[in-house]
Amino acid sequence: MARLRLPVLLVLVALVTVTPFAVMVLVAFAPPGGRTLPGALDVTRATWQNFTDVLGGADVLRWALNSLLYSLVSVVLILLFASMAGYAFAKKRFPGREALFWAFLATLMVPFQATLIPYYLLVAGMGGVDTYWGLIVPTLANSQAVFLMRQFIVQLPDELFEAARMDGASEWRVYTTVVLPLIRPVLATLGVFVFLWHWNDFLWPLVIGQSEAMRTLTVGLATLEGENVTINQVMAGATITVIPCLLVFGLLQRYLTDSIATSGMKA
Amino acid sequence: MSRVESRETPPEEEPEARGPADHQGPGPGGADSPASPVAVAAPPGDRTIPPVTVPAPPVATTAPAPPPAGRSRWGRMSAARRREALAGLAFVAPMLVLFLVFRIGPTLGAVFLSLTDYRLNGDWTFIGAGNYARLLDDRLFWEAFGVTALYTVLYVPMTVVLALGTAVLLHRTLWLRGFFRGLFFLPYVTSIVLAAVIWKWIYEVEDGLLNSVLGGLGLGPVDFLGSESLVLPSIAAASAWKGFGYSMLILLAGLQSVPREVTEAAVIDGANGWQRFRWVTLPLLRPVLFFVLVIEAIGAFQVFDAMYVMTAGGPVRASYSLVYFLYDSGFKFFDFGYACAVGLVLFLVVLVFSLIQRRLVGREVD
Repeated sequence: MARLRLPVLLVLVALVTVTPFAVMVLVAFAPPGGRTLPGALDVTRATWQNFTDVLGGADVLRWALNSLLYSLVSVVLILLFASMAGYAFAKKRFPGREALFWAFLATLMVPFQATLIPYYLLVAGMGGVDTYWGLIVPTLANSQAVFLMRQFIVQLPDELFEAARMDGASEWRVYTTVVLPLIRPVLATLGVFVFLWHWNDFLWPLVIGQSEAMRTLTVGLATLEGENVTINQVMAGATITVIPCLLVFGLLQRYLTDSIATSGMKA
Repeated sequence: MSRVESRETPPEEEPEARGPADHQGPGPGGADSPASPVAVAAPPGDRTIPPVTVPAPPVATTAPAPPPAGRSRWGRMSAARRREALAGLAFVAPMLVLFLVFRIGPTLGAVFLSLTDYRLNGDWTFIGAGNYARLLDDRLFWEAFGVTALYTVLYVPMTVVLALGTAVLLHRTLWLRGFFRGLFFLPYVTSIVLAAVIWKWIYEVEDGLLNSVLGGLGLGPVDFLGSESLVLPSIAAASAWKGFGYSMLILLAGLQSVPREVTEAAVIDGANGWQRFRWVTLPLLRPVLFFVLVIEAIGAFQVFDAMYVMTAGGPVRASYSLVYFLYDSGFKFFDFGYACAVGLVLFLVVLVFSLIQRRLVGREVD
């Protein structure tokens, strides 16, 4: 009895965890109008109709592309800039290095919401409302990414970089041919986090994208309900939203879970 | 294009490469341009400056004219040190510019604006602590603060108990541990908006999942999100489902770092499972538990998305959080200075949480 209790509990908790996802998918595939549970559970009547309806009706496809652009461009640029800065903070002596690094760290204490208004006014003043650069560029200033990079690079032995420099390689070449290959694991980890941060981001896209065409998928999903859309279509939209998260999670779960356990990174 | 090409480039290209930077002098200001992506993509015809070497700050200068301000500091450095310093600044430059403009700028801006009555029309006067005095008298603000505090008190225990429970389950089992860990972690990688949309339907009165189940048992229906007393626990439960995976991983790592000899010794002493957990594991887990509690409390105090999607702050502001109040002050009433003051209150609360955690964990270590 006692030996069975553990697996039974595990399975029960697992069922509770999965249920919301399961009902989302069931309702998304249920025939329109089959929103009550018995109707939704009838798998033989499953249909793609809600997906085609929601993709055809609202700008869902456009929102998905916006989200993809927001996430992927941010991943590439943050990985580039943060690894460059992290390398400099870890391995280069320059005046003001410590002070700057502490300034980067100190801003981690300030919640984004606390500076939302001046942040918005600044970007709006630069003409960034309803533009892609206005959405993306301000979010590239990511202290946490710099911190993670610096912590990883600082423990790599200096000789690795010195050897390349002795061979006459330029600083940029040392970065591209020595630093980048060495930090591949942390690039993967950070890439996953940055992707999820941006894909799931809500407040910033909500305030900076004011036209319907500039919404991201999360913002669009939140506004779908107010419009003339059935719950089946909302759930179809929700299912579309969750697919990239599942893909990223399925492929790179190890990087994600390991780094949370060791460094307390928060997605 | 010419990453391969440049491999053959002899080190002698440096004198030429020095050219463009000389205009700027070896000051920090001139250091950022070489590292920009534009410089990397030099035109193919440009023979003298191979693209890949351009970002190297060309600093082995013999007789440059350094900016007067930095004369002594830069002058005292050896050529190699100066070269290293410039390289460092060049590599930090892109992130530094972004950081100064989009992190430091808004942070200082928030402090400054909170001392003004800046509004949409652009006029402003310095009013000192006026906004803060107004906050003290604003019933709406205190309501929102109360809602946020209550939400935090509901959300944090739910999440941490769920996280600790699942972490202990996972720790004790070897059977499909990786599978279950991934499964429990799944909600965490999705967005809070998604969780809110799904749970809004689960909570629905008409034919939501919960009320269907309750109806089957002859109970209900219960208007989870329409009731002033149930709305916060309901939102907290949905958020806990979404969020517990993070704390679970941290606590699991904490459990796995408890030395096996310690628990084995307790087994030999005849302690049962609960006693081992209560008197051996839990005390050792305390620093990790504090960390998780504080991180979750900080997150809970910033709650907004879930309420925006599920209830729009209702019913009758029963789920109108502090950030919601900030959002409305700024983007509905365009009372920017006032909204910044709310932001600073939020920052102070987060700071206090962090300090408490440092105090408690610090004492633990001593």
